[in-house]
Amino acid sequence: MFGLRGRVITALAGKELRSFLGNPTGYVFLTLFIATSAAAAFLDDGFFGRNLADLATLNRWMALILMFFVPAITMSTWADERRAGTDELLLTLPVRDFEVIVGKYLGSLGIYSVALLFSVANLVVLLLLGHPDMGLIVATYLGYWLMGALFLAVGMVGSMVTSNATVAFILGALGCAGLIVAGEAPWAAGILGTGAFAGLAALIWLVIVGNARFAGVAAIAGAGLGLGLWLGHAWEGFEDTFAALSAPTHFVPFGEGVFRLGDVAYFVGGTVIALYLCGLLLNRRHW
Amino acid sequence: MTPTEAPPPVSIQAEHLSKIYGEFAALIDVSFTVKRGTVCAFLGPNGAGKSTTMKILTGYLAPTRGKVSLAGFDPTDAEQRLLLAERLGYLPENGPLYGDMTPRELLGLIAKIRGISAPEAAIARATERCAIGEVMAKPIAKLSKGFRQRVGMAQAILHDPEVLILDEPTSGLDPLQIREVRALIRELGESKTILLSTHILQEVEAVADEVIVVKEGRLVFSGTVAEMRAQGSIEQRFYALMDRPPLKEIA
Repeated sequence: MFGLRGRVITALAGKELRSFLGNPTGYVFLTLFIATSAAAAFLDDGFFGRNLADLATLNRWMALILMFFVPAITMSTWADERRAGTDELLLTLPVRDFEVIVGKYLGSLGIYSVALLFSVANLVVLLLLGHPDMGLIVATYLGYWLMGALFLAVGMVGSMVTSNATVAFILGALGCAGLIVAGEAPWAAGILGTGAFAGLAALIWLVIVGNARFAGVAAIAGAGLGLGLWLGHAWEGFEDTFAALSAPTHFVPFGEGVFRLGDVAYFVGGTVIALYLCGLLLNRRHW
Repeated sequence: MTPTEAPPPVSIQAEHLSKIYGEFAALIDVSFTVKRGTVCAFLGPNGAGKSTTMKILTGYLAPTRGKVSLAGFDPTDAEQRLLLAERLGYLPENGPLYGDMTPRELLGLIAKIRGISAPEAAIARATERCAIGEVMAKPIAKLSKGFRQRVGMAQAILHDPEVLILDEPTSGLDPLQIREVRALIRELGESKTILLSTHILQEVEAVADEVIVVKEGRLVFSGTVAEMRAQGSIEQRFYALMDRPPLKEIA
């Protein structure tokens, strides 16, 4: 598909997965993820108060947990390659840029999927305590997986722009935070919208001009336009539009056992856009 | 180039190559050719533009201006770069490798990415040629600089490429390791086109047939080793070149 070769993608995804799971830090990460998700699910007062065998308490915290855990997976995907200089080795092999991006993304998604799989221990607790609705649990886990998949792509964008893994973590967490808080307050949606205008302007500049020079100026101009539309009330639905980009809002139906195509499209579409952005950022070495 | 066509006599060609980073010109109007089946040393002080040129030749970077051709392919064209990469072996500067992998895992990964049909045989061949058999199961991060450089060479020759680009292959090695790597380059040079960058003058006489000299991003000499030492030693000529204005300005 799209000229992407499975051989290359699986080789790179396997490398990422092996590298993570072959490292003690990987197991520390998995343990922390399981412990944190279990704590959020069962130590919250609401769990026993509600007397229902479901993951509603974890649902409230999951986006925040992922905001920290997902960038921990993605922070090294590109930043470490650039720091060690191995990106030069990799990108001079017979590989397409997008094969590398998809391979690395699937590797990260594999790591996240393994972590999520281990957190199914939460289900065992639910089964011991009561009779959970399995349809609801499956839908909830599908929601966790889709939200994590989106955050992974956003985290990879953060890792693309720096050779420092810590900075990559912070950028990834900030990106995920933007998608979380957008639905929390009008000002947060406004800031996200302004940022989206800035990013879109830079993106349009890069695609049309094909040169990174003055992309920053385009971003500032885009941010100015966004601020004008938001604070100048030139676009009345500005805050509502960007509040609709909130990841937790699109997750809520999954947590209620409702599977809506629009929510799936939001997570899948957001992931594709973020990966496309990764492609543009990887291509900037030619500019 | 189609498989039925005869290979071009010139393996590497750069025409009026320039690379500008913002206000800084890393390469300025550099043109040269490397004939098929020769070992060409790319000589110049640090920061002269050697690594930038090599990054452009391999398709990692695009030139700001100018044209490049390797083995008949244009590395600035995405699809041609793939075809070129199948015929090219590249050792980047400082031999960057995945430290958490063993040489066996690294060569296996590269063999899979390259789609080598008999990976075990290819790995065994490269392992023997680069004499890394004893470290195949050790993490690369724990290897000496000399072994890491040899592992880098092994990944570069794994697919038996027709063109090799080696960015300072003997940098940081001890005299014994330098001798071994030079012997390997000479052996490989019998059947391949090799462009190797260096700032070590003795390396030129030890391994090269042709020499390209760059200074501050400009080409100042291109010719055979014999031509380079026509007016004395290579060392004398090199230092003279470093003080002279570029060839284009003389012309």
